[in-house]
Amino acid sequence: MVGSPVLLIAVPLLAAFVIPLIGMIWKELVRIVPGLVLAYMLVLSVTLLVEVNQNGTIVETIAGWKAPWGINLVYSNLTGLLATIITTLGFLVWMFSYRFKRNVDFEPAKKYFIFLMMLVAGATGIVITGDIFNQFVFIEITGISAYALTAFYTGRNSAEAAFKYLMMGSLASSFLLIAIAIIYSQLGTLNMAEIASKMHTMDPVFKVIALIFFITGIGIEAEIFPLNGWAPDAYTEAPGPIGAAFAGVVVKAGIYAVIRMVFTLFDIPAAHDFLITIGLITLIVAESTALRQEKLKRMLAYSSIGQMGLVLVAFGIGTHAGVFAALFLMLNHAVIKPLLFFSGSYLVFNSKEKRISEVNGLGKFMPYTAGLFALGSFAIVGLPPFAGFWSKLSVLTAAADEGLLLVIALVLIVSVIEIVYYFRVVNRIFFQEYNKEESVVPHKPRFNAIIAMTVLAILILVIGFYPDAVTGMLHSASSDLLDKSGYIDNVLQVGQSLIR
Amino acid sequence: MNTIILIFIIFLAGAILTFLASNIKGLLKEVLFLASVIVPVVMFFTGVKAGDSFNFHLAGFAFQWEITPLGYLFALIVTGLGVMAAIYAVSAMQKTKNLGLFYFNFILSIMSMLGILFSRDLVSFFIFWEIMTWSSYLMVVYQGKDVQKVGIKYFIFSAIGAYAMLMAIVMVYSLTGSMMIDKMIQSYAGFAFNMQIIIPILFLIGFGVKSAMMPLHVWAPGAYSHSPMAFTSLFSGALSKMGIYGMVIVMAGMIAYFPEGHWFRIVIAWLGGITAVGGTLWAIAQDDAKKLLAYSSVAQLGYIIVGVGIGTPLAMLAALFMAVMHALFKGTLFMAVGAIEKQTGTSNFTEVTGLIRKMPLTFLASLMGIIALAGIPPLGGFVGKWMLYESLIGSDHYLLVIVIFFSSTAAFLYCYKFLFGFFLGQEEKEWEHVKEAPVLMVIPMIILAGGTFLLGTFPGLVIKPISAGLEQLGYAATQGKYWEMSMLFNEWGDQVVLEPILYAIIAVFAFFLVFLLIKNHKNTRYVSTKDISTSGEVPKEHENLTFIQNFFQPFLRAVEPLMKRQIDFYYNGFGKGIEALFDFTRRIYTGNGQTYALYAIIFVVIFLLLKTTLFGI
Amino acid sequence: MELFLNILGAIATVILAFIVGMSYGGIVRKITARVQNRKGPPWYQNFIDAYKLYSKTTAIHHGWMHRMGPAFLMVSSVVTLMFVPVLNNGGWFENMNFQGDLIFLLYIMVFGSLGMALGAGQTGNPNSAIGVTRGLSQMVGFEIPWVMALVAMMIQYKTTSITGFIEVQQESGTWLMFSSPFAFIAAVLAMLGMFRYSPFDIVGAPSELASGPVSENGGKYLFTMMSSGSIFTFAKLTLYVDLFMGGANNLLVLLIKTFALYMVPVLYGLVSPRYRTEQAVRYFWGWPLFFGLLAIIYAVIF
Repeated sequence: MVGSPVLLIAVPLLAAFVIPLIGMIWKELVRIVPGLVLAYMLVLSVTLLVEVNQNGTIVETIAGWKAPWGINLVYSNLTGLLATIITTLGFLVWMFSYRFKRNVDFEPAKKYFIFLMMLVAGATGIVITGDIFNQFVFIEITGISAYALTAFYTGRNSAEAAFKYLMMGSLASSFLLIAIAIIYSQLGTLNMAEIASKMHTMDPVFKVIALIFFITGIGIEAEIFPLNGWAPDAYTEAPGPIGAAFAGVVVKAGIYAVIRMVFTLFDIPAAHDFLITIGLITLIVAESTALRQEKLKRMLAYSSIGQMGLVLVAFGIGTHAGVFAALFLMLNHAVIKPLLFFSGSYLVFNSKEKRISEVNGLGKFMPYTAGLFALGSFAIVGLPPFAGFWSKLSVLTAAADEGLLLVIALVLIVSVIEIVYYFRVVNRIFFQEYNKEESVVPHKPRFNAIIAMTVLAILILVIGFYPDAVTGMLHSASSDLLDKSGYIDNVLQVGQSLIR
Repeated sequence: MNTIILIFIIFLAGAILTFLASNIKGLLKEVLFLASVIVPVVMFFTGVKAGDSFNFHLAGFAFQWEITPLGYLFALIVTGLGVMAAIYAVSAMQKTKNLGLFYFNFILSIMSMLGILFSRDLVSFFIFWEIMTWSSYLMVVYQGKDVQKVGIKYFIFSAIGAYAMLMAIVMVYSLTGSMMIDKMIQSYAGFAFNMQIIIPILFLIGFGVKSAMMPLHVWAPGAYSHSPMAFTSLFSGALSKMGIYGMVIVMAGMIAYFPEGHWFRIVIAWLGGITAVGGTLWAIAQDDAKKLLAYSSVAQLGYIIVGVGIGTPLAMLAALFMAVMHALFKGTLFMAVGAIEKQTGTSNFTEVTGLIRKMPLTFLASLMGIIALAGIPPLGGFVGKWMLYESLIGSDHYLLVIVIFFSSTAAFLYCYKFLFGFFLGQEEKEWEHVKEAPVLMVIPMIILAGGTFLLGTFPGLVIKPISAGLEQLGYAATQGKYWEMSMLFNEWGDQVVLEPILYAIIAVFAFFLVFLLIKNHKNTRYVSTKDISTSGEVPKEHENLTFIQNFFQPFLRAVEPLMKRQIDFYYNGFGKGIEALFDFTRRIYTGNGQTYALYAIIFVVIFLLLKTTLFGI
Repeated sequence: MELFLNILGAIATVILAFIVGMSYGGIVRKITARVQNRKGPPWYQNFIDAYKLYSKTTAIHHGWMHRMGPAFLMVSSVVTLMFVPVLNNGGWFENMNFQGDLIFLLYIMVFGSLGMALGAGQTGNPNSAIGVTRGLSQMVGFEIPWVMALVAMMIQYKTTSITGFIEVQQESGTWLMFSSPFAFIAAVLAMLGMFRYSPFDIVGAPSELASGPVSENGGKYLFTMMSSGSIFTFAKLTLYVDLFMGGANNLLVLLIKTFALYMVPVLYGLVSPRYRTEQAVRYFWGWPLFFGLLAIIYAVIF
């Protein structure tokens, strides 16, 4: 065993304090150390995942306080998978943004990398924690880093976007606090497993109210319509790689929180239908809005929201196949969307406005980056033989098994819309003439950025051609999510065994 | 190693290698390209036979690739035309930018088509279908003309079709628990009634789009005319046949549980009939050869759809024979247009005239292609047309046969327009420099045209595999009943004997040609097209008297009521409406933080108010 | 030996058709003249014209397609003739009567005009092309009622071969023009267009288009075209007689029947002004189409 899950959180938090100090020794360390930390997190999460896969869930208590009294971390197939996705992306974002914008000074760079690390650490925390209040804390950590990163460019627009994000974030916090307060007042515990085991004793009215506040609170992070107003602005104004981090890291953690509530904590069957409905609405509104966007990153942001809607629909189906499809979608989205953000941010690198109309003919000057953007577009709209196809197919089969024909039809219609706006961009990049006055001045991507993008592209192709590379993992993760009693037992057993 | 999987690996690897080699100077990329098309094709012809299969599991689905007799027939079209088009492409696409992309997609298209034909399960069918869609899409936008309109339209329609099919596939999967096509067809009779209706209709939409069935055809004219002609010959000749193939295996299989004359068959047949008429009329109105041929393809596929829709043995024979023929002659014609466009720079009838003496071989190929297209004996087009009419008459589709006849008679109009517009009429100084197309472009044309000639007299060569394919679908053997190597029979035993007809035609033709030429071959002199009888006035060098503007105006005036509106108009209107609607939804995101906060509050309030209805508590 | 006999029979048929067709042409010229109160040429004038054209030396050509045009035209008329039984009960050479059916005939009949049109196209004379487009448009017009009539009869008598129709008539003893009257009416109306007499003679209107497709042709070319026209006329008339009027048992009956039938388009033409192309097309899609539909309904019901 290389380490325990707690290190996933402890190391970056510690590093965050140390980095400014070592930055005084050699400025470059400010960029390098976060990378090392993220790499460590990546290695750790993968090793743990392998371990979990073999030996079953790891439950870690912090400071010797056993569950249900102390804070505990649960590293299971599901949380481990998500944590791995998050740390992988965190590392790739670091690799991509190492020296992204060379002219960035020491001071902003320091902030950037520290906040990036905090963002990843917070998101990992959200996923692996077993304590509801602890989760709230991690949501705050993630949120604050995200606000700061949104405002990174310190312009008027960034500030505005960050402020909107902050405002919505604070709303989310208050809603979450209300929900946590209700639960604590009713059940007297904050441990998720114990809440889950006691939930049936709770007054239904309070239960529903708590759920609504929870969903609203986390929904703001998870970009559920209509709570996602902050997202397009934040994605657009934040630096390109941060958009990738939002799509791959923050949102994933948010979605995890939502489904953990619905699947484990609350025993309200109607919540599944609620997820389907709200997911469909999110999907349709976001994708139709994306069609009419003029800015590249905004379009990607809405597309990201739409994908999350689809994930919620898949989770809402509630069967093993549905959960599997949802996790597959999350995985694919976490691979594809960052690639789009990475390559997209280089496509409009030298542009002020970042408009889609400015990318005309760039394929000629930066074939590799543009090609990767096209690959990402192909994959995200679900064209075979790329990754997105398999997840879309599994969503549809899962829905068909439950007889949700309307859902299938809507998802497919929305997919057509998705195709339209993605292919409009691809067309512009490759098949329209470069126009000196309108188009962006091409900017060659840096070497490290190319590596980061290539890794994602390879992942897309591998999953596309050989989905079985990941399906095993996803299947055990979905069984893990559906196994509510197993979760409770795992967590509480540890506590009990220690009491004894 | 199994040959089937090896074929795909070679295709895929070849595509990637060719793409990578595209920036290397010299002939490496051409050699790689030809090799990666021809090697698998040769392997297909030598290494596999009907009945070979390859099975594996992926992502929880069972995959089965097997070579069926019917698939083998269509694979003949794909590989034959594919190799010809590939040879043509090497010469035609010289000095084009971005050649790697072209070659890459070309190889992938052929691979995906073969994949479709080999797939016995719906997942790999769909996967290959989609690969075919996007690789052909990249060809449509390849030349960068009108990409946002034509290209996107093609993809929207393809996507609608593919997703309709996907919906049907997942429905079948949830009903049968299996992705096998055979399983689907077997258990179709046991489905609930609404499923029995919905599933074939969804499949029909999917296949209808690819085979450009009206009203789903609107992508075709643009897409056919905007891709490089080297690919369009394959696009129209083979790729659109995949829709037909799908219709045959799925429809013929599923509807086989219903008696002939089932409403669903009638619907398909009439859609095919409407397609044929509409395509023909619009083809007559075109001034651009590519558009003309594109609409003509729509019409020709209409005939095929009629045959598939009727579904009697003779009709199926007719449809599949016409599918082969269409690949041959439409391949030839698109290649000819490509050759002309390469040599003159335009494909518009109103601009280029009088090429017959400059490009005689292209003319010869086009002439044979056109005769086959018009269905005039002794070329192969006639065989298909004859069988179609006989099957329609024999199966009591009286009005449909009139519709088809109208369409194929009207087809003579655009056939003549094609030949006249390019090759005949007055020769102009402007085109004096035009030379015959490069030999590598001419040879494939001539070979394909020769194919139409051969099949016109010995249709049995192709009907034999067709018949084998039909037997796989459960039809009785047809040899001797409907056809022999060079004879055709209808339901009532009336026959057409093709071989003596050919000899008679050749004999009469030769006799009168000799008669006309015997004495005056040497004594006559050639006079230019300016030296004509025009009321005593000799046209000057710069005066172009060629009649090509408003070529069929009187006819078009006569059929005006039929052509008032194109369905395209409504689609565009619908698209605009949708975009306007989306513009409205876009406004939900006002960009104002207060509004967003308000949304969140409203969200909570609404759910708190509605919690009883929503959560049942 | 058998082949030799066959060829001989074919030649005899062609010569018969040539003579009859030419004579009919001459007689029509005479009749036309008399109706128009002229004296008119003698009935054998066409032979004289043909001989004159044949003897002329050709001096120029416009290229290979131009030269092949008349040969194409001839293929269509001769091959059509080969498939039409001249007399009933094997009273004349069999030729290729049993080797093709009506639908084949419909198509081979078009062969010539398309080849001719190509030849005309190469001359570069705009009048030719204009004539061709008109001819093709008109053809689309009259083919529809014609095919409807044929389809009606095919479904009524369950055969598509010409000999089959002759047999049907001989068995029942009545002519098909009486047992399927609507089909006959539609077919005759279509025939008006097929023979291109007025009002459907805009294709080769001499004063307007310089004779349309045939302009730029003279000498042997024109001779071949003229003979082809005569042969084709005979073939078409015989086809009509075979289909609707019970065929003929000897040549005299055939001549009477064909001549009577031939008078329909000729006389109708004499009293009609010329239609424009779209008028002609619309004409065929009016009453003739209606009768065609009636014929099909009649065939389905009976």
